[in-house]
Amino acid sequence: MKQHLGRQSGVQTVDVSLLDGKVQVTPKGDGEIDPVQLLKATYDSGVTAAEMDMTARGKMVKDAAGSLALEVAPNRVFTFAPNEASKGLESLAGTPTMVTLRGQLYKKPEGKKKSKDFPAVLTLLILEIEKKE
Amino acid sequence: MNTKRLALLVLLGSIVVVPVAKAQVQHIEMRVEGMT
Repeated sequence: MKQHLGRQSGVQTVDVSLLDGKVQVTPKGDGEIDPVQLLKATYDSGVTAAEMDMTARGKMVKDAAGSLALEVAPNRVFTFAPNEASKGLESLAGTPTMVTLRGQLYKKPEGKKKSKDFPAVLTLLILEIEKKE
Repeated sequence: MNTKRLALLVLLGSIVVVPVAKAQVQHIEMRVEGMT
């Protein structure tokens, strides 16, 4: 799995902890990393991703549907799953303020066994706002 | 003229170069099941 994930676009390093089932992925600085591809690559490795969290820095923008999103590259935005934290960031949409946050991108549906049907677009549920600058 | 040059020098000297915080995905963590 480590080798398979390491071959994915935009991935710099992969660390796997067999003990607690955690996989740490450090992206390259090229902005090419695609979380959906990582989920698929994990599935192709023969294991199931139960949860995926991401730490990212970017600007607040409105996506095509008018929802608040985090822009981490000119062609890459993550739309927020609405919660209290995302409401608090609404006023920063369109401003140059950079926000660093940690959020949940994917959680395996309850009771669902191994499935390769991942959502085409992942929404980001903010868990923690680390920094505004 | 000298005053202008002096003002320009002071201006340039006062500029502090701050590294621009780059927008990017910094880290991804997954919890997986079925790993042996």
